[in-house]
Amino acid sequence: MKFSRRHFMLQAAGISALAATGTLPGTVTRAFAEAKQEALPWHNWSGGQSCTPERRAAPAGTEELASLLKTGPAPLRAVGAGHSFSPIVPTSGTIFSLDRMSGVIGSDPTTNEAAVMGGTRLGALGASLAERGLALNNMPDINKQTIAGAISTSTHGSGANIGSLSTFVSGLRLMMADGETIDCDADNNADLFQAARVSIGALGVITQVKLKARPLYKLKRRTWVMPIDDMLEEAPKFWRENHIFEFYYIPFSGMALGISNNITDEPETPVPPQTDDDSLEELKMLEEWLGWAPSARRWILQKIMGDIEPEERVDYSHKTLSTERGVRFNEMEYHLPREKGPETLRKIIRKIEDNNLEVFFPIEFRTVAADDIWLSPFHERESASIAVHRYYKEDYKPYFAAIEPIHRAVGGRPHWGKLNTLTGADFARLYPRWEDFKRIRNELDPKGRLLNDYLKGLFA
Amino acid sequence: MKISAQATILLGAFLLLAGCGEDKAPEPVNLTQRQASLYQASCHTCHTVPETGAPQSHDLAAWKPRVAQGEDTLLDHILNGFNGMPPLGQCIECSRGDFIALTRFMAAPAPKDTEETTR
Repeated sequence: MKFSRRHFMLQAAGISALAATGTLPGTVTRAFAEAKQEALPWHNWSGGQSCTPERRAAPAGTEELASLLKTGPAPLRAVGAGHSFSPIVPTSGTIFSLDRMSGVIGSDPTTNEAAVMGGTRLGALGASLAERGLALNNMPDINKQTIAGAISTSTHGSGANIGSLSTFVSGLRLMMADGETIDCDADNNADLFQAARVSIGALGVITQVKLKARPLYKLKRRTWVMPIDDMLEEAPKFWRENHIFEFYYIPFSGMALGISNNITDEPETPVPPQTDDDSLEELKMLEEWLGWAPSARRWILQKIMGDIEPEERVDYSHKTLSTERGVRFNEMEYHLPREKGPETLRKIIRKIEDNNLEVFFPIEFRTVAADDIWLSPFHERESASIAVHRYYKEDYKPYFAAIEPIHRAVGGRPHWGKLNTLTGADFARLYPRWEDFKRIRNELDPKGRLLNDYLKGLFA
Repeated sequence: MKISAQATILLGAFLLLAGCGEDKAPEPVNLTQRQASLYQASCHTCHTVPETGAPQSHDLAAWKPRVAQGEDTLLDHILNGFNGMPPLGQCIECSRGDFIALTRFMAAPAPKDTEETTR
């Protein structure tokens, strides 16, 4: 049977009128509203992942979220900022955000704990905690993510004795696929707590977390340039002696940019202009002009970097630890046994420069403390993290394919939100509690409504 | 004093001509209640925080070169992401119409009081 547009409009008007009089049940009204939603494609920030979901939603509270989880077309996937590069979000079913379920609910100055809604963005969280005289122990490089998304992927900053954001969680509330909620912490539902703190949205939706924070503090950030050989030699000393330490290697330069952050009471200094995006554009231009002549490129880069003076900045931690990233990229990051970090970076640099691979993005080296969370890449292992990036318009696959085996040879575990080619069997070998996680996952979501194709490949 | 019909027409024509070649002063744009809530949940996160580098709501000078690119281009930037802005402008539930209305709202002067944000 064919319907004309006019016929459809009349039907729609009739249904709307009925709904307005309250003679249609809520489910029918909701279904009609959903049917009207136009299809729009979703992409992640880099554009590397995409889908056209049947339904897009931002539930305004637990009731709406429960209803969505029970009745929305599967797979049901929550999206935060779309800053995950791995295919953990794409779905043909329902994509939803927790943007309407955000904010700090309360804080306790005696324990320095804060209760936070899952959809709270890290940038807003830092500012809200500061108003309460609190701050997180660390922040990642990017602060657009929601707290639920950040802990679900074990997002981290740098610091030899500081764990990922998941380790800041002292309790959480999970809404499962059947719309029921369950609370867990170290004493109650302890196994679930160990599984849920890094769970990639595969157990349920993290609607609330209790975070261990600390009194508001300032950091003195210092940046300096030194030859990469010296940086690699001294890295263990730097990560021991600084609260936070990381460095970037500039490909084909032989030079590294070190960054340290240490707690201070010194007065704040003026905010310097953000130049990272401009510097990336310059590195890109240099690669385009002199990519065929690595020696000339190296000479110019050393000349430019040799003139960079050390800089210092003092500010509150939530203002100085994260950076605005305007140049889009795809990323692969692996977490390695810490002692293997410097040697692995040397191998990566040789692979890039001996083969003149097309790379201009700096390579990032960080450290993260060990934890006991089942699917944490830092599970029972002090780690060094090495991240490689590719400009979003360029094909990342050849570059990442050249680097990934170097990480895998030393037992590297990939960041859950970043690109890798590992299978469920590979992860099972890397994570001693993998089967325990799968058992809990099957108990909470036996129909697999939360699993998209990628996660089915890992867990189903 | 009586003004003749002829004088009125002449005065009207003068005022019309005087208006030619001048940009019309931009007017505030109002949002529906639903769109105002979308704005608070999504756009507000970056477009009221200068450090993000995003053009700030109601900063006409910042929006002028962007608006000059045309709404089709701006809509394309929103749907596919642009620089730091994620695709769909971080508004998972917005329609194309919402995106256009929200952009017009941010590119226009601020309504006189918050009640005028919605209609």
